[in-house]
Amino acid sequence: MHIHVLFVRLMVVISIGTICETCSADSTSLDSYDRDIKPLLQKYCGDCHGGGSSDGNVTLDHFQSAEEAAAVPELWWKVLKNLRSGVMPPADSPRLEDSELEQIAHWIKTQAFQIRTDHIDPGSLSVRRLNRSEYGNTVSDLMGIEFDAALLFPPEDSGGGFDNLGDALTFSPMLMEKYLQAARAIVGEAVPTVCKVLPHQTLVGSDFQREDSKTRSSRLDGKKSATVEATASIDEPGDYTVACRFKVDGSFEFDPARYTVLFRIDGQERLSQEFGWGDDQYFTQTYDENWSAGEHAFELSLEPVVAKAASDGDDQGGSREDTSVHFELVSLRIEGPTDTKRLVHPDRYERFFTRDEPPLENAQREAYATEVLRRFTNRAYRGPVDDSTIDRLVKIAQETYRQPEATFEQGIARAMVAVLASPRFLFRLENVVPPEDPDATFGLVDEYSLASRLSYLLWSTMPDDELFRLAEGGMLRAHLAQQIDRMMSDDRSRQFVRNFVGQWLRTRDVTQIVIDPLVVLGYEEEFQSLRENFRSRSRRLREEEMSEDDRQLFARYRELRSIQDRFDSDLRTAIRRETEMCFEHIVSEDRSLLELLDSDYTFLNEKLAEHYDIPGVDGSEMRRVELAKDSVRGGVVTQASMLVITSNPTRTSPVKRGLFILDNLLGTPAPPAPGSVPELEDSASRFGDHEPTLRELLAAHRENALCASCHARMDPLGLALENFNALGMWRDSEHGQAIDPSGSLITGEEFQDVRELKRVLKDQHAADFYRCVTQKMLTYAIGRSLDFRDEETIDRIVQRLESQDGRFSSLLQGVIESAPFQKLRIKAPETVDLSSKITPPSTELAKVTQP
Amino acid sequence: MTHSQSSGRRCDALRRRQFLRGIGVAVALPAMPSLARQRAVASESPAANEMATTSTGAPLRIAFMSIPNGVQQDHWFPSDNFELNDSMRPLESLRDHFQVISGLDHVHATPGADGAGDHARANATFLTGARARKTAGSDIHVGVSVDQVAAQTFGHLTRLPSLELTSDVIRNSGACDSGYACAYQYNLSWSSPTTPVTPEPNPRQVLERLFGSGDPASRVNNYLLRQEADRSVLDFVLEESRDVERRLGAHDRRKFDEYLTVVRELESRLKSAEQFREPPATDMPTPRGTPTDFGDYMQIMYDMLLLAFQTDSTRVASLLLAYDGSNRSFPQLGIPEGHHHLTHNQRDAALAAKVAKIDQYYIQHFADFLNKMSQTEDVDGNSLLHNSMIVYGGAIADGNRHTHENLPVILAGHGGGAISTGRHLRVASQPMANLFVTMLDELGTGVGQLGDSTGRLDLAAT
Repeated sequence: MHIHVLFVRLMVVISIGTICETCSADSTSLDSYDRDIKPLLQKYCGDCHGGGSSDGNVTLDHFQSAEEAAAVPELWWKVLKNLRSGVMPPADSPRLEDSELEQIAHWIKTQAFQIRTDHIDPGSLSVRRLNRSEYGNTVSDLMGIEFDAALLFPPEDSGGGFDNLGDALTFSPMLMEKYLQAARAIVGEAVPTVCKVLPHQTLVGSDFQREDSKTRSSRLDGKKSATVEATASIDEPGDYTVACRFKVDGSFEFDPARYTVLFRIDGQERLSQEFGWGDDQYFTQTYDENWSAGEHAFELSLEPVVAKAASDGDDQGGSREDTSVHFELVSLRIEGPTDTKRLVHPDRYERFFTRDEPPLENAQREAYATEVLRRFTNRAYRGPVDDSTIDRLVKIAQETYRQPEATFEQGIARAMVAVLASPRFLFRLENVVPPEDPDATFGLVDEYSLASRLSYLLWSTMPDDELFRLAEGGMLRAHLAQQIDRMMSDDRSRQFVRNFVGQWLRTRDVTQIVIDPLVVLGYEEEFQSLRENFRSRSRRLREEEMSEDDRQLFARYRELRSIQDRFDSDLRTAIRRETEMCFEHIVSEDRSLLELLDSDYTFLNEKLAEHYDIPGVDGSEMRRVELAKDSVRGGVVTQASMLVITSNPTRTSPVKRGLFILDNLLGTPAPPAPGSVPELEDSASRFGDHEPTLRELLAAHRENALCASCHARMDPLGLALENFNALGMWRDSEHGQAIDPSGSLITGEEFQDVRELKRVLKDQHAADFYRCVTQKMLTYAIGRSLDFRDEETIDRIVQRLESQDGRFSSLLQGVIESAPFQKLRIKAPETVDLSSKITPPSTELAKVTQP
Repeated sequence: MTHSQSSGRRCDALRRRQFLRGIGVAVALPAMPSLARQRAVASESPAANEMATTSTGAPLRIAFMSIPNGVQQDHWFPSDNFELNDSMRPLESLRDHFQVISGLDHVHATPGADGAGDHARANATFLTGARARKTAGSDIHVGVSVDQVAAQTFGHLTRLPSLELTSDVIRNSGACDSGYACAYQYNLSWSSPTTPVTPEPNPRQVLERLFGSGDPASRVNNYLLRQEADRSVLDFVLEESRDVERRLGAHDRRKFDEYLTVVRELESRLKSAEQFREPPATDMPTPRGTPTDFGDYMQIMYDMLLLAFQTDSTRVASLLLAYDGSNRSFPQLGIPEGHHHLTHNQRDAALAAKVAKIDQYYIQHFADFLNKMSQTEDVDGNSLLHNSMIVYGGAIADGNRHTHENLPVILAGHGGGAISTGRHLRVASQPMANLFVTMLDELGTGVGQLGDSTGRLDLAAT
């Protein structure tokens, strides 16, 4: 009911239309253009962008009036970005005083951008569809099952660097079919369709124990003898069924290994079979058992098939090292006894149903269906649901459960499929608290919408019970700070790190990037020749019969083989986690974000520490490691995540590394783009007799003015990181030539190596970094690209960061308290936002507004 | 269409059902459901049944495959008298069934005033002939792609209006190519200038979508159950959508319209599915997922496309083999370097040879597909390849210099006998879109213009 009233009021607002009061800029400020701004532009920019000069096709002195000047906000946006980043005026020219910059910025924001600083417009936001990971998390929380959306849905197209932007999340027929398919599959798995079932229990891998050790797993290596055991206890004798799900997987290079598996129940053999390599194959076996009350034992044994006699020429040779085969008992489900009177509810029954069993009488059934579906749909839609929707759902449920043989639960399940296919589930539809001013163009989002904004920002999933309760009572805004704390200390906030940091610093990509360690480390040719050698002979080669030479070659082959495997999933995970954990550390201890640029600690395990050549870190657990004073590590630009994802499969790319820093850490604006890219001709002949270094090639590039405009920004940053190879490992030279990491930034600061570069970034460019990270997080939080109208919002958060030493909490609170996060447009302000036009109310709309 | 012709074709369909068993991918067909639809349409508009049909009355199909990063031109283009070059060697046995066209350009793939971001831009221009608006996401705009124009004109004739596939699931997070939204780089097909059509990367999903889930024996039943379930859920979804639409603000509505269009389209498809009630069947095993080997991956997506054409489930398809800018390495060819990185080889002969080898690898899998198409008999006794027009190419010509003139283009198939093959057709420099409108003409769509098209090519068989 509350919702209906609200919407009627909104409709009235829209249909009446208003006269904009914010459009006419106040005249004193306009005057300030001639009085204050023009002289500053003349003084600092005039040489190149005035008096007939138009470097980069930009002139700043051709406006006839202040109004004319203010009418080109896009130009002033560029001016503002270049002034703030220190890119303009150029490094060798006089710099603006801070107060002068502030004066220009103020004029630009209030006059050219028409921002009302006392009443910031939240901007125009598109309705957002849940993206793939939000959908998966929401389904898991709502339904109580694990749902991996990545198996069914293709990756989303990102916009502005993130995959949660409303405008970039498109819709296609295929996607709609998938949502329908997913809804059926999810409800089919999660929602019980009967009221009572036989008692059952399930054992999983960690319930199984080795005889001789404490390891708990039912995954067995096909090359080692082993036995694992588990027991289950039942208290009622009778006939039981035991369903075992097995899995066979592995990989091999030359020759797969074979093994036999023996599975026993209470000492009786139930499975005895030979297996070999399998490509993730699953199969299920069901056994009928007549059991007495008490403990029952399950035992799984594996025995490798011993190589046949050497004489038959079919042995496994020296290649077993490369083979990995596994047999696994994934789960064991015991059901029974089959004739018991003590039936139980199926799994998750209480999650969806509130009574022990549904009533039988029709009217009561309808009332119960209404209750169950309202309870579910309120959660699914993340806010109170309309009666009309509930009526439709109850009808769907009735159509099914009124059929002979059908259960009440089947009807409810059918209706729940419809809920999961509804646009109100798939989209984040938001409501506004009716503003008191009837002419208002925007207002605060209501508490349910705010709860969703918070939970999708910090958890990438739907609000939990506590958020719902607060929203329901209208108490969420009043407890905002406390809720942010609670949410950030909840495990689900890892989703924020995975998704925000994963995309901002691209740590998501570490698992998929292809780098060839043998080529990067220069062993490719040697490895290939050894491999050919042994591949052709593997059938008859036995290590004990090898000549001494062969034995040494084989040892070398194995060594190189392990180098080839070095960039494995363990190392990749450690690399991704290093960056994520540095960020988590800053979040949980509320430290300065500047530690992402340079820090005297990082997070490592033994494998990653060895990769970095840092001694004294043992074991696979990632932990905080203090770095030596002269260490090159510490800070994102020296972390393997960034170094790897900006590399090509066989070598580094200083250009990509430079670009990464500009785009993701400094936010340095792109220069005007060249019209066409000239070719670098015959590079070899330019350098005479020697192979040019990357540095020389890039220098040749920058001789061309067209190329220089971009590359002067990117290259020095990237070249400073050349001491890190494509895997992020340290090196002093490449192809026998010493690496020269020194250089200077486009803003003038010089540095000798990466240590100095980090210091320059942290000391001289903190403001750029604050601005950059603010833009990234604001984009992620509000789900749209930023434009010039957001400059004041960004400025305020940056000021907050500066005054609080870059602490993470100031960023998070700044973003959450900002107008775009707290508010929503009701309609486009006519004079400011010329691009979006108001659609005239439809006939349906008109009907709604009738009294 | 006269009555005798249509009943003649029904016999063809029966014949087809018999022979399809046992070829490459085994298929069993229902009695050509689309024919009933065609007859229904024919009584309303005489022109409609001419569409997407060969002179013998068989379905006429179009498909588009895109390759990334241009080609190594000196290894790729054949001589004037059609002696094939290194990269095209795998197509030797099929030389009578395709032609290479040179002289086609994509001026909207050039930087113009937009600057860097050539790969994303080229990817978006390839099938649209339009210039992608440079935006990181807020106001994506390019043009309707040729396949979608076809789908929107005669897609109602088949079970699915079109099929969009990809054999590339690699996604880099963060911003895409130099300020372009990722939608430009990862989609070939656009149903409106602002709506990309996401391609399906999972072969299993394609098969289940076309034939139903489960083992071959239960697929038909599962397919019918799915249709029935979808129908009832969609009724609810539409009612909900109307409620939602009523309450949206002006800006939100724009985005929601995109969703509503899809839901309405799906609803009308399910209604018209009366004609398509019985799905076709195949005993091809359900693919388990995405193959790890790239060659296997391309092959299985080509197989899915073949199945779709063979069963006349659709007559329109696009297949993004790899997105433009792809930096995939090819260890299976002894090439550890990334493809994109290699194309910027500054004409180093050794590196160029590697690029040519990658070009050949792509062509090899295309050739395997054409081979299967040429060995599969269509309803009129000709091969599927005979009754198709298949474009293979991209919107970058030279990957080193990023040129967009004289693009690499193969046109395979005979268009039902209407077009000439077995030649290197050199045409005067003109927009690639001219080829596309010529194809749309052959399909009888009556579409006058597409993207930057300025005229037609003469492809006619002599």
